Amino acid sequence: MFSRWNWVACGFYLVLNICSPDASGGLVQSCGHIIPESPVLALGSNFTALCILNESCLDFGNIYASQIIWKIKNRLVPKEQYREINRTVSSVTFNDTSSLATPLTCNILADGQIEQNIYGITVTVGLAPEKPKNLSCIVHQVSRFTYVMTCTWNPGRHTFLDTQFRLKYRWPEAVFPDCIPKDVNNSCTVNDIQFFVNTEIWVEATNALGKAESDRLVVDPIDIVKPLSPQNVSITSGLLPTVLQLSWENWISDAVMTLKFNIRYRIAGDTNWMEVPPEDTASPRTSFSIQGLRPYTEYVFSIRCMKEDGAGYWSDWSEDKTGVTIEDQPSKGPPIWRIIDTSQSPACWTVHLIWKALKPYEANGVILQYELTVRDKSSLSSPVKKYNVTGTNHTLQLREGTYEVTLIARNSVGPSPPSVLLIPASNSKAPVKNLRTLPKHDKLWVGWTAPNNYVLKYVIEWCLVSSSSDCTIEWQIAQGDVQGIDLKGIKPFKCYLITVYPLYADGQGSGQSVKAYLKQDRPSKGPTVQTKKVGKAEAVLTWNHLTVEEQNGFIRNYTILYKTIDGNETVVTVDPSKTEYTLSSLTSDTLYTVRMMASTDNGSRTGPDFTFTTQKFGKGEIEAIVVPVCLAFLLIVLLGVLFCFNKRDLIKKHIWPIVPDPSKSNIAQWSPQVPAKHNISSKDQMYPEGSFTDVSVVEIEADDKKSFSDQDLKPFDLLKKEKSTSEGHSSGIGGSSCMSSPRQSVSDSDEGETTQNTSSTVQYSTVVLNGYRDQTPVQVFSRSESTQPLLDSEERSEDHAGGADSTAQRQQYFRQNGGQDETNTDRPCFERTKQITHASEGDLVGFVQLQISGQSSQPLGLGMEKNTQEAAVSNVLQTCTEGQTVRPETVEENPLSVDEMPKSYLPQTVRQGGYMPQ
Amino acid sequence: GDSWGIFTFLCAALCNLPALPALNCSEELGAGQSIQQTYDLTRYLEHQLRTLAGTYLNYLGPPFNEPDFNPPRLARAERVPSATVDLDLWRGLTDNARLAANYRAYSRLLCYLRVLDGQVGTAELRHRLAHFCASLQGLVLSIGGVMSSLGYPLPAGPAGPPAGPPGAPAAPNDFLKKMDDFWLLKELQTWLWRSAKDFNRLKKKVPPAVVTLRLEARGF
Repeated sequence: MFSRWNWVACGFYLVLNICSPDASGGLVQSCGHIIPESPVLALGSNFTALCILNESCLDFGNIYASQIIWKIKNRLVPKEQYREINRTVSSVTFNDTSSLATPLTCNILADGQIEQNIYGITVTVGLAPEKPKNLSCIVHQVSRFTYVMTCTWNPGRHTFLDTQFRLKYRWPEAVFPDCIPKDVNNSCTVNDIQFFVNTEIWVEATNALGKAESDRLVVDPIDIVKPLSPQNVSITSGLLPTVLQLSWENWISDAVMTLKFNIRYRIAGDTNWMEVPPEDTASPRTSFSIQGLRPYTEYVFSIRCMKEDGAGYWSDWSEDKTGVTIEDQPSKGPPIWRIIDTSQSPACWTVHLIWKALKPYEANGVILQYELTVRDKSSLSSPVKKYNVTGTNHTLQLREGTYEVTLIARNSVGPSPPSVLLIPASNSKAPVKNLRTLPKHDKLWVGWTAPNNYVLKYVIEWCLVSSSSDCTIEWQIAQGDVQGIDLKGIKPFKCYLITVYPLYADGQGSGQSVKAYLKQDRPSKGPTVQTKKVGKAEAVLTWNHLTVEEQNGFIRNYTILYKTIDGNETVVTVDPSKTEYTLSSLTSDTLYTVRMMASTDNGSRTGPDFTFTTQKFGKGEIEAIVVPVCLAFLLIVLLGVLFCFNKRDLIKKHIWPIVPDPSKSNIAQWSPQVPAKHNISSKDQMYPEGSFTDVSVVEIEADDKKSFSDQDLKPFDLLKKEKSTSEGHSSGIGGSSCMSSPRQSVSDSDEGETTQNTSSTVQYSTVVLNGYRDQTPVQVFSRSESTQPLLDSEERSEDHAGGADSTAQRQQYFRQNGGQDETNTDRPCFERTKQITHASEGDLVGFVQLQISGQSSQPLGLGMEKNTQEAAVSNVLQTCTEGQTVRPETVEENPLSVDEMPKSYLPQTVRQGGYMPQ
Repeated sequence: GDSWGIFTFLCAALCNLPALPALNCSEELGAGQSIQQTYDLTRYLEHQLRTLAGTYLNYLGPPFNEPDFNPPRLARAERVPSATVDLDLWRGLTDNARLAANYRAYSRLLCYLRVLDGQVGTAELRHRLAHFCASLQGLVLSIGGVMSSLGYPLPAGPAGPPAGPPGAPAAPNDFLKKMDDFWLLKELQTWLWRSAKDFNRLKKKVPPAVVTLRLEARGF
């Protein structure tokens, strides 16, 4: 129990010791300590530390040196490095201090288990300073009287320790205070420096592990001065236009040191400095005249200085100062050229004189005006004209001739030498030969071979060829002895037209032109190709030339590439001048894709694809087939027609056998058929067959005479019916009335009731429009509002008694017909009826005509008919009473039908005899 | 206080100069070069003094700063080495004697100048005086170097420490003290002017290439 408390106390004691490590000898007695205390060790050296235990602790805590363990930070030092010197002292040895770290602690292992700290030290490991190297010093002038010396050196390796550098300097008999660098370890600045005494300068580096000194530098500080650059630099222009005087102030008195200078200058805007030869300014001075400058030019100057004997350093360059030389006369006349416009009339020139402003170094000042003199050389008597111009062009109206133009530029100092331009009446002299161009980097060289005669000058005109605007001419003059010139400002990929004129003393040569590119590129687009004509085996392609802007170079050729969908591409090269090409040997009825490529020297570009299909047949092929086929067909048809015509009887026999007409048979006249359907048929007229049936039934039994006339009228009636059924155009309302009335009148006698009945119920004059067979129905119908049929039937019953009435009625009707045909006034109704009939018959031609074509002789028929009809007039008139109006068109529409009438009525004539030949 | 300490130290060092062996560095330089350097330094000091004197006399105030102020030389100013030796007489002296006289005179003048420096009120002027002092010390060293390079012994004994501590014979009043200062600067100017002539002459006499007997100097 006691020993346990003892250990606790001991532990507490040790803790206290740790908490106050430097309290040894203080209130609390430490149980031990380490020697050496806080060592500074050289890196890589060996080190031995001793831990010495206090005697008191030995007694109190029962601890001995053999129980000591050493630790670096928390890491145990291997036991092999320990050595127990005696019962209170343990040592530890490190062969290499680089393995050390802080803290190094001495601990005791009480009871073999519990570890207690006795003491700890901090270990600092580092390096001794190296000898500083490369010491160099420079004395900066800070102001007129103030100089500071800055020395720099290489401090050497890092020492890991606090190392102090001191710059030391001294005279043999005097020592100056050290210069201690602030914040840096490689330079120091001495503020007070004495000239003209050799000073010994060196650097001393010191730290806990040692001291090192640099080599000694012995120097007179005046020999390492970097002076301030000259101040108050001013420039004055002298009397001469080529001289400027530079003056300045020096910061350093000659008593301190004499200076030499460097002066540099450049033209304002230029970047290249020129330097006054150093030997010219190698002596002390405060001004210098710079000669050989250009007149009226702004120059920039700057100056620097250093000790005259060359010891020390150059000052910085002074600030730039500018000065302008005074003006001088222009050194040469402006280059002049002309453009002659003869568009108004060949004899009257518009001469544009153009000249270039002089370059600044030629103008030597501000050009105030140009003096232009024009002398007509063709007529000596004409006066010399003078113009003062401020611009750089002048336009004159001159008659065709030879002129001499003189131009002088004038500035405030004087005039330039004159420039003379001879404008001859014609450019008849020899031109230059062999004009050619060659690109040179960003310039275009134009070369030519001189003509045999002596050439004064050459004028080179050039302009950018453009499809949209005119060529804006630029020009340049070259002296007569050159045979080539570089054109500047030429853009690449643009076409230039360059013309060279030689100017002779007595005239001017004609211009030679060449087109040139500074640099070529492939075209910016390819030509768009399309077909002009496509045939079976060939296609004509057309395209437009690329514009100048698109060409980007000389088009060397066009290449046409065409192919079928699955075929190989075929390539055809075409001359660049063409815009059309015919592809041949194509496959018919095939889809072709064609595109076109324009090539310059630097590449090519392809235009868009164009597709076309070749034709299936060649030109004329279809015609060659179709025409014979048609002809053959026509021939066949013709032959067939002829054949049919020849054999028409036979055909007729087969196709249209002659069917006996029951209505014309005599037997039918007493057929007991009841014409009940008549009434219906008037409604039912669209069925002509029914009508025929009806017709065949109608008979007039009562009176032979009457019936004859009735009979006689029957065909008309029939035809009328047919006509009105099939084709209403020839029957007016009157016609319809006529048509229905005879029937009624026919049926009147034996079927009064029916008739009456019918009359009262039947709607009159219903005309049904229907095409007969293939014929188109044309006409209109009119509907009679009249109730006359009813009246008629009543009247007609009276008519039977006396014909006078009918005559009267006829008269009446005649009037109603009003002037229809005055020559036929005695039988208007007949006429009309006949016409109507005939009109109907006209429609039936196909039916009737074939039947009668071979039979009749017209005069006979007509005559007979007249007779017959004459006889039937009274009946017809009776019938006609019902027709209220007769449309004149009806009569007129078929004038020819009168001729045909005999054909239609021939059978009637026959019937008149009471015999039907059928 | 600091500067005072340094100046005391420098003065002490200067007073012990005769006891010191010749300068190593000046040995290594040619005599002609040393002379040239000394001449340059003399010119430089003249130049410095010209501005410094103007400033200092202004500091002293009228009548000292008046351009035509030319007071009689007081007896008490005699302790300042006077350059007013007859020119012919001075020229008749040997180089050695002249150099020695220069050396002694500047040593004395330097000591007085330092006293003067310690009394100056304005920092700027003090700084310039200190700089001038340092330069003047350099001149003394240079002359010593030249003498060494030419093989002349450095003057000893009497030229060393001035009698009593510098400034010990305190001026009875402020004006007289100012008068002392005035004469000090005036003498300095005269000496520097004459030294410049001396060294110029010597420079011409001794070509830069000549290597003189330096061993003899050491032997001394």
